[in-house]
Amino acid sequence: MTTVDGVSPGAPTAAVQFLGREGMYWRLRIKGAALLVLTLGIYRFWFATDVRRYLWSHVEIGGETLEYTGLATELLGGFLLAVAILVPLYTAIAGVALAFDAAKEATAAIVFVLVVLLGQFALYRARRYRLSRTVFRGVRFNQHGSAWPYAVYALMWWTLVAVTLGLAYPWAQASLQRYKMRHTSYGDLPGEFEGTGSALFLRGLPLWLLVVGPIVIAFLALAAMINWDALNGMVADSENNPLGLLMGNIGMRVLVVGGAAIGTSIVAAMLLYPLFQALMLRWWISGLRFGAVTVTSRLRTGQVYRIYLRFILFVLLFVLVVAAGGALAVFVSSALAGQHHDSALAEVFASAITLGLYVVIALGVSTIYQVVVTFAMWQLGAQSAELAGADALDCVRASGAPSSALGEGLADALGVGGI
Amino acid sequence: MTSTPDAAPTVASTAPCGAAVYFDGTSSARNVVIVEAGAAGLRILDAHRRLLDEWSYPELRRMAAPDGVLRLGRSGETLLARLEIRDAALTAAIEDRAETLDRGGAAERRLRRKVVALSLAAGASLIVTAIFGLPALASRIIPFVPLAVERQLGEAVDKEIRSVLDTQHLGPTFICGFGPGETPGRAALDKLVGELADAAALPVRLHVDVVRRPEPNAMALPGGRIYVYDGLIAKAQTPDELAGVLAHEIGHVAHRDGTRIVLQTAGLSFLFGMMLGDFVGGGAVVIAARTILRSSYSRRVESAADGYSVNLMEKAGGDPRALGAILARIVSDKEHGIKILLDHPETKDRIAAIDAVTVNGPTTPLLDAADWNALKQICAPLPAKNATTQTNQAK
Repeated sequence: MTTVDGVSPGAPTAAVQFLGREGMYWRLRIKGAALLVLTLGIYRFWFATDVRRYLWSHVEIGGETLEYTGLATELLGGFLLAVAILVPLYTAIAGVALAFDAAKEATAAIVFVLVVLLGQFALYRARRYRLSRTVFRGVRFNQHGSAWPYAVYALMWWTLVAVTLGLAYPWAQASLQRYKMRHTSYGDLPGEFEGTGSALFLRGLPLWLLVVGPIVIAFLALAAMINWDALNGMVADSENNPLGLLMGNIGMRVLVVGGAAIGTSIVAAMLLYPLFQALMLRWWISGLRFGAVTVTSRLRTGQVYRIYLRFILFVLLFVLVVAAGGALAVFVSSALAGQHHDSALAEVFASAITLGLYVVIALGVSTIYQVVVTFAMWQLGAQSAELAGADALDCVRASGAPSSALGEGLADALGVGGI
Repeated sequence: MTSTPDAAPTVASTAPCGAAVYFDGTSSARNVVIVEAGAAGLRILDAHRRLLDEWSYPELRRMAAPDGVLRLGRSGETLLARLEIRDAALTAAIEDRAETLDRGGAAERRLRRKVVALSLAAGASLIVTAIFGLPALASRIIPFVPLAVERQLGEAVDKEIRSVLDTQHLGPTFICGFGPGETPGRAALDKLVGELADAAALPVRLHVDVVRRPEPNAMALPGGRIYVYDGLIAKAQTPDELAGVLAHEIGHVAHRDGTRIVLQTAGLSFLFGMMLGDFVGGGAVVIAARTILRSSYSRRVESAADGYSVNLMEKAGGDPRALGAILARIVSDKEHGIKILLDHPETKDRIAAIDAVTVNGPTTPLLDAADWNALKQICAPLPAKNATTQTNQAK
């Protein structure tokens, strides 16, 4: 196994392994989902902590596993702190909105920007909490720097992504990852991100053309097809004008061309999503640096497609089982309600069954997704990665302190997907 | 393989020992060490059997680790010193000696059961708060909400309501009583409202309008605005029936129910949107919980407004039971009955409560026959649609 003097010299690469077992993870997830329902979601802090402890401690880098040292009570505290901040803030916003009723749109826009900023702030701080609770070889990771510049930066990038219909996405990702990794360190070993936007752009461009392309083409084609002078004339005229007939004709064409374009886009997006995920994960892992340590990913796209096929299969089976159970429940309840000739009772039964089915399906599908997709992607990402220059990991000095869970709490309370 | 030196017997100790990996918490250096499970604690020795550190049993903590690894840390330690043991015999020996390591996880399971029990209690208490606490809290806050704020709120709501109700985009003609042939109806309405307002003596000014909607309904907004649907006037057989409904809506204004609903809705959003978290996703459970609770609130609010209506009608000298009569007629009409039932749950109980009122002596209708006939025609048929289009274009 190991020699007393530690790692043998001349072997600077280190393999990454994922030791987690799917059976254990199923049990963890199903038990957690059941407790979430029973406690109306209050159990989520303990559930998230259990999940992280499991995932972290089963990632092995160069023979040593990671460790998650966060506590559920810290997440609960962060959440309560976030509520204490958000309630006065929301109250103030409501008051302002009421006072300036005339400038409703402006108020709404400002509030939207504020919430987006706060969401990005929360995500950055949540990352800090998680990193400072991640321990490897007795040394913690950490993240420094203020979260506000990041929030502003992220808002600007995402605006640009929206304006360019996603073309700026690679550069946004590269830039934000660079920002995050430059403020990340493992002990005193500084992090860095070397993935470039242009590399991601070149790989992602075919996907963009296939998904966004049809809509752009359809839009341009329709713009060329429409006789703008005639259209202007039509808009000016009343509805009863004979030109309305032509308008209906064009409306039909818009419907057909637009529908076809959107349909093509949706199908392309669904078929290409696993490819996109593989591409992103490979690019991200291969861009990570810690001092002299470099990472490369040998992730194969086919593996990601296999994961999603398995997911679809599981969801189909699950829905079949739930549908059978639901049909049985409807049958039994209608028999019961029929006995008493009580339409109000039948209505109550129907609502309860609908709500119950919704909860079971939503939680079930999310559990299946977490196990069959997220867990498998975690495994795939870890196992495809290889570290070079790993001997730099041997002499890292500890630094940094655990940070507060406010970011996690804010992300949870704002619903931006923290926990 | 592990190269544990065979020097162990030279030490005068029979303590179980074995190989482990030690991280001292100041650097990531990986130290392969020998761990001795002594009487009071663990002795951590390097390859040359020099003592690196000593950890007492009570301060040992089990940290998250993969299967087959015992990862130890120390409690109350800011440094993240770790000891990782894969040797099953040594692990068992340490677990025997250190109670804090919770072999088999019984203490952890006990703690977790406590967490689940407390979470259940917290969830139940939030639900009880939502059912009883929020309405009580809203009642306490309402006296402190200035009437000016309520009026402003009413104006904001009014714009929304108008655009939702005016589905045919009638604009100004959506309100009856101002078109040709409608003014006598408006005068009769003002007379009826005036009688009720005198009896009610509210601090806010009532602003009642009749709108062109076929449903038998009426609504009060915060700040004193009341909309009566044309369909309600068509259903009313006596002026007191209409007056009873008006008095019910005035009750909402007097009780400041618009503000109450805003406060209660905000409270519900806080409790179910924020505290409980949308654990299922999609928001359906949150919406269902809010709908159920809101109908429970509205039941109380509606019966309070009914009580107010009965009192006000007695004060104005009208028939307090007329409200029950028109409610019964609306419920028996199946087409619109469902919608009313949804808004006003348990209508039958409400009617029974109103009918139980004892009327002192004979009552006189609040409007005479001529005024009642005029009010019945407050919404004159609109001119043909083409004509409206042209008037719009003419602007």
